[in-house]
Amino acid sequence: MWGKVYSGFGYWDVYFWLLFFVIAAGMILFIRALGRSDYKEGTEQDEIFYGSNEVPEDGADMGVPAASAYWGFVEALRPYYDWLVELHTGIASDYVGYFVLTVAAVAVLVLL
Amino acid sequence: MNWQIHLPALALAVPLLGAFVSPVAGLGGRLTRNAWMVLVSMATTAICILLWQRVVAGGTVVYVMGAEAWNITLPSGLSWPIRIILEVDAFSAFMVVVGSIAALAGAFFSLRFMDKFTGLEKFSALFFLLVTGMLGMQLTGDLFNFFVFLEIASVASFGLIAFWRDRPEAVEASFKYMVVSTISAMFVLIAVGFFYGRYNAVNIAAVARMLHMGYAEKIALVFIVVSLAMKCGAVPMHMWTPDAYAEAPAGVTCLLVAVSQASLYGLFRVCFSLYGASLGSTVVPWTIIVMGVLSMFIGVTMAVIQKEMKRLMAYHSVSQIGYILMALGVGLLSLKDPQAMADYGFTAMKGGIFHIINYTMYKGLLFLTAGAVFYSAGTRNLNELGGLARVMPLTTFMFAIAAAAIAGLPPFNGFVSKLLIYQSTFAVYPLLAVAALVTSVLTLASFVKVFQTAFLGPAKKTFEKVTEVPASMLLGMSVLTIVIVALTLFPGWTLSHLVEPAAKALVDQAGYISAVMGGGL
Repeated sequence: MWGKVYSGFGYWDVYFWLLFFVIAAGMILFIRALGRSDYKEGTEQDEIFYGSNEVPEDGADMGVPAASAYWGFVEALRPYYDWLVELHTGIASDYVGYFVLTVAAVAVLVLL
Repeated sequence: MNWQIHLPALALAVPLLGAFVSPVAGLGGRLTRNAWMVLVSMATTAICILLWQRVVAGGTVVYVMGAEAWNITLPSGLSWPIRIILEVDAFSAFMVVVGSIAALAGAFFSLRFMDKFTGLEKFSALFFLLVTGMLGMQLTGDLFNFFVFLEIASVASFGLIAFWRDRPEAVEASFKYMVVSTISAMFVLIAVGFFYGRYNAVNIAAVARMLHMGYAEKIALVFIVVSLAMKCGAVPMHMWTPDAYAEAPAGVTCLLVAVSQASLYGLFRVCFSLYGASLGSTVVPWTIIVMGVLSMFIGVTMAVIQKEMKRLMAYHSVSQIGYILMALGVGLLSLKDPQAMADYGFTAMKGGIFHIINYTMYKGLLFLTAGAVFYSAGTRNLNELGGLARVMPLTTFMFAIAAAAIAGLPPFNGFVSKLLIYQSTFAVYPLLAVAALVTSVLTLASFVKVFQTAFLGPAKKTFEKVTEVPASMLLGMSVLTIVIVALTLFPGWTLSHLVEPAAKALVDQAGYISAVMGGGL
C-alpha cells in the first residue's frame, strides 16, 4: 500500500522492483560463484591490463578527463552548443536584458 | 490556551530570533555558535512539521498578526482584511516542511564546512534570515508581505553568495544576482501596487474574491509570473543560477535550492489561488509549460558540457525546475476543465508537487556532496578529480543515491514523480513527455560523467592524503539521504499524505478564499 502508486494510467510498485534487484543480485552472486577458484590476489593475475603498455604509477596519467567525456555528442551538436554558449555571456546587463525581454514577450502574448 | 495555534507565527519568529541572537551567540565562541545554529534549525524544522500535522488534521490555518484574536480575519464587519494574515493550507505546509528540512541539512553541513571562514556569527545571522524569508514567502497570505519576505530572502542571499569574499568570482556572482533579482523584485512590487490600486487590498484571498481580469490584472500577472520564474531559475532568465549556486558555500547552496522553491510556490499560489479560473485564456499556462520545456532541455544540455562540479549541478537545477514548471503548467491548463483535470491535470500536479520535494532533497544532497569533495580534495574541477571513492566512501555512497534519484532511475523517488509527469503530459501533448524523457537520459549521462571522473578510476597521487569529511558534514548529507530513501520506499504514503493534500489545496481556490473571507476558523 505504501509502496504502490496509481498514476491514472497504470501503477508503480517499488517493492516489486526491490524484489527484482534482490533476485538479480542473487543471480549475479551465483554466476560469480561459478568463476575460477584458483585466482590468486597479489600476483600478476591482479595486474591491470593497460593495452599492453606499462601501467603508469600515478592514476592521474590514466583515465579519461571530464573534458573528453561525450566528445562525439558535443561535436555532433556543435552549432547548437556554439549558439547556446554564446548566449551565456556572464554579463549582468545581458541577464537583465533577457529578463526584460521575457517580460515584454509574455506581456504581448497575454495582452493581445 | 493551546500553544499550537501560534505555530505559523513561531515558524517565522524562531529563525528570526535565531538570526538576531546569532551575533551574541558568536561571542561565546565556536561551540556556542554551532549549538545555537543546531538548536534553532532543529526547532524550526520541528515547528514546521507540527504545523503541517495541524493543517493536515484540521484544514487551512489562518493567523492574524497583531490582532486581539489570532483567528478574526474580518473584525468589526469589515469587507476585507486589513491586518497581516498568515494563511497555511496543505500546499504551504508541505512547502515549509520541505524548506525546513533542507535548511536543517545545510546548517549541519555548514558547522565544519565554514570553519576556514571568519565572521561566522554574520554567516549564521544571514543563514537564518534566509530561512525566515523563505518560510515567510510560503506562509503569508498577503501579497505585500510576500514581497517583503522575498526581499529579506534576496538580501540574505546576496550576503551569503558573496560570503567567500576573498574569491572575486563569489562577489561577482552575488553582484549579478543582486542586479537581476532587485529588478525583478521591483516588478513584483509594481504588480502588488496594481492590486492595491484596483482593489484597495493586498490580501491574496480578498483580492482573489474581487478579481476581474482587465489590463492591470493581466500586466500584474505577467510581472509576477516572469519575475518569480526568474527567481527560480527558469530559462531564459536562468543565467544567474550557475554563478550563484557554484560560488555560494555548499550549505547555503542547499538552502538556496529550497528558496528557489519558495519563488516557485509564489508563482503557483498567484496563478491558482489568486487568479484561478479568472486566468481566462491558455496563454499563461502554455507560457509556463514552454518555459518548463526550455528549462529542461537547455539546462541539461548546458550541464553535459560543464567541467566544474557545482556549475554542472546548477545547470541541472535549471533542468529540474523545468519539470516542475511543465507539470504544474499542465495542471493550470486543465484548471477550468473538470474532465481534463480528472484525466491528466491532477496527476500532473501530483507529479509536479512530488518533484518539488524530490528535487529539493536530491539536489540539496548533490550540492552538499560537491561541497564535501571540495572540502577534502580542494577542487571542484572534474578534470582534476578522480578515484575519490577509495578515500571518501560515505560521500560517494550518498552521491550515488542522489545521482540515481535525479536521473530518475527506478526504484528511486525521482522516478516516481517523473513517471507521473511523463504520463500526464503525454496526454496533453506527446512531445512534452518526449522532451522530459530526453532530459532524463541526458541527466543520467551527465551524472555518470561526474561519478566516473570524480569518484571512480585509479587513485591519484594528488589526493593521497584526502580523507572522509567530518561527522557533522556527513550528518548534514545523511539527513537528506534518509529523506530520499524514505521517499523511495514509501511513495504511496508520500503521495497520499503529503502530495495529494497539497495538490488539492492548490486547486481549491474557493477554500483558500473562504478561510480568510469567511471570517476565520
